[in-house]
Amino acid sequence: MENTLEDLAHSLNMTTTEEGTTFDALLTEAGVLEVVCSNNDEFPIHIAKTEAQLLAVTPLFNVSEVQEGKADELNAVMLQLSPAIPLSSIGLQEGNYILFGAMAVNTKFENIVHELEVQAENTLEVLDAIESLLV
Amino acid sequence: MSILRDMFTALRGAGSDIGESIIDANAVRILEQEIRDAEDAIGKARQSLTRLKGNEIKLKRAVNSLEADVADYEVKAMEALDADEQDLAAKVAERIAELETERDEKSTEHKKLSDEVESINSMIKNRNKIIQKNKRELEKIKTIKELQKTTTSISSNIAATGSNQHRVKKALERVKAKQERWRDNMEAGEWMAVEDGTDDLDRELKDAGIGSPASKGNSVLERLKAKQAGQSAG
Repeated sequence: MENTLEDLAHSLNMTTTEEGTTFDALLTEAGVLEVVCSNNDEFPIHIAKTEAQLLAVTPLFNVSEVQEGKADELNAVMLQLSPAIPLSSIGLQEGNYILFGAMAVNTKFENIVHELEVQAENTLEVLDAIESLLV
Repeated sequence: MSILRDMFTALRGAGSDIGESIIDANAVRILEQEIRDAEDAIGKARQSLTRLKGNEIKLKRAVNSLEADVADYEVKAMEALDADEQDLAAKVAERIAELETERDEKSTEHKKLSDEVESINSMIKNRNKIIQKNKRELEKIKTIKELQKTTTSISSNIAATGSNQHRVKKALERVKAKQERWRDNMEAGEWMAVEDGTDDLDRELKDAGIGSPASKGNSVLERLKAKQAGQSAG
């Protein structure tokens, strides 16, 4: 099943997971789908699509939000956390630390939902873990 | 060569900004051009392959038929020898020699053709490899491009929150508070469900006339009636 981001937004807005998570999905002008998961509505997931992949990106914080002199420690911790987070990786994109997951464009809808739900949860866990290194 | 190496170079040069340099540089066009060239080459190769393969099959068939003829004449030559027809046998042997020469020629030609088919096939495979590799590279570029799109909205998001001071901490607190409330509500919901359950049981008991105030009232009334009846009798 390969759908447009609009289709995905529509399906997400109609969905409630077994854990009771709901989604608020909106297609932005930039062509990026912004998804707010009810289990973490402070850090929305941005979904972009290429020919082969769906990219789910959650912005965590900007480099400028890291405490002075703590960047190296933070980077080392983030690299070590990354393999421990199911379905998501940690990345740095133009000065923003991000959590991201990549899926094949033909990923089943239920699996997309699961991935988003887990990513929203992972975001909280990662931020909770490294919070003390931020301003 | 590889987009990741280009990224590395750009990152070292410009600090943290990958920028448009790699993305909009000729990289995409070059990769797409290479894909088109390879696809054209494969298209042409496939056409000549069809023709060559046709010839190859024809030659193979000719070789087989010549071999059958040789075998056939060999049997006949033996029969001639058995019948002591020496001249005839010699003529047949000559024919066999001619057939064998022709067979060898065709066979060599066939070998040459099938080698050619082989090499065209491996050329197609190589071109396909280039196409797949370039497509993967293009996918990387597009991934970076799409990531940049998400980043644009990220930056404006973070900027929109105004003061960066404790932004993450505050957001985390809000989410945690919300989750706490949600858990409380859930527990409250479960407690209510338990209470409702008790009410149901009471109702059932009452319906059955067990332990309910109504039945108590009835028995009191009965007792009083009995008492009254006793008094008027006495």
